[in-house]
Amino acid sequence: MTVRKYISASSEETEALGSKLGRHIVQNSKSAVVCMYGDLGAGKTVFIKGFASSLGIHSRDIGSASFVIVAEYETEPVFYHIDLYRIEGDAALDELGIWEYLDSDSIAVIEWAERLSQRPDGAVSVEIKYLSDNEREIIIKGADI
Amino acid sequence: MRILGIDTSCDDTSASVIEGSSTILSNIVSSQTEIHKKYGGIVPELASRMHMDMISHVVNEALIQAKTELRHIDAIAVCKGPGLIGSLLVGCGFAKSLGYAAGIPLVGVNHLEGHIFAPFLESEPEFPFVSLIASGGHTSLYLINGFGDYEELGRTRDDAAGEAYDKIAKMLGLSYPGGPVIDRMAADGDPKAVSFPRAYLPDSFDFSFSGLKTAVRRELQAIAPDGDITKIPSDILNNIAASFQAAVVDVLVRKVEWAIVKKGIRRIVLTGGVSANSELRKRMQKMADEQNAKLWLPSIRLCTDNAAMIAAAGYHHFVAGDIAGLDLNPKAYLPL
Repeated sequence: MTVRKYISASSEETEALGSKLGRHIVQNSKSAVVCMYGDLGAGKTVFIKGFASSLGIHSRDIGSASFVIVAEYETEPVFYHIDLYRIEGDAALDELGIWEYLDSDSIAVIEWAERLSQRPDGAVSVEIKYLSDNEREIIIKGADI
Repeated sequence: MRILGIDTSCDDTSASVIEGSSTILSNIVSSQTEIHKKYGGIVPELASRMHMDMISHVVNEALIQAKTELRHIDAIAVCKGPGLIGSLLVGCGFAKSLGYAAGIPLVGVNHLEGHIFAPFLESEPEFPFVSLIASGGHTSLYLINGFGDYEELGRTRDDAAGEAYDKIAKMLGLSYPGGPVIDRMAADGDPKAVSFPRAYLPDSFDFSFSGLKTAVRRELQAIAPDGDITKIPSDILNNIAASFQAAVVDVLVRKVEWAIVKKGIRRIVLTGGVSANSELRKRMQKMADEQNAKLWLPSIRLCTDNAAMIAAAGYHHFVAGDIAGLDLNPKAYLPL
């Protein structure tokens, strides 16, 4: 599996890297799942703002999805911003219908993907680690960017 | 004219009957908070199941308390989003079936528009006014010129203010929802004890609470490196709560102040669940007095989610002839 490591020195760089991954995925497939890992405040939402820009979604329209859990954007293909922060247990995931979202022709980015008992086949993973106030290490696996 | 309002956007099942545009005949809110508290947050599948169990009882109770029979209802106003999709579907499905069976017109209302019209249920704010909607799911600033004429001045770029409260409460090992408990702790703490960052974003009316959340997390890590919050003395925790709350309130008050000055409008409406916060109410009132502005602060039961506000906004849609069809479908993400 392709593993790429980056050091981001600012939220702008994190957003730009998200945009780069987004463009790569959108150009190569109509259906994809990106699993995001990282602690509170690591910069997952910022990364997703960049990612979603590749689908024509304005960064202002991406916020925290913790409240709604699944935010759906009517792009082509459909974009799902999923945030599992408040989800505990497989039963809750099943009833949320998460697997149906992921099986459809859509691009889904999942925050707090550690809550998934299994990573979906072929999913790209993005791990953001806190280094210092501005610096983050970002490890992208499964995408040849 | 009587409007039946229904709101199931989050964890409360609510139904209300209002007379005309603003007289509340009943406003039933069946809170699921006690159930969700056990899980430290809203559990979506629990929420939609609870809504299904509750909705017919809650609507029935709203009609009984309003001494109104269904045939005297002129329109059903239902919240169509934003919110938890499973929860919204229960409310919309129920409203559509009821409307279809009883031959009552249906109106779809955006939840944020409901919050904007909540204060009209007990007073008469004059247009135009600057409205701050701060809740668990939203933190937005609007210029409201009249019904249907809303200009978004700013919104949160990441977490909502109420969401920051909930996430900090979880870090502190406190119960859900975070707002009331942090508000109580803050009353016994020193707001200047820890200097948390305030994201004023001076070039815009947008908000950001993510950096504050990170700063609180790092402060806790510094005090309790092993992650055991229970070892932290309560006076230190109270100081953190007070300092965190001061950072949130400073930003909310300052941004509203900038907005009224920039727009030259000395009228403010505060709404949404976070508006129930005692410190925010006090500080916003102080700022309004200093700026010679008039502030409308709805009572707490109208700040938090309720169906009367959906009915109030729905009234305006109904008289404007904006009727929804049976194809009305709720959306989790739904900008105003």
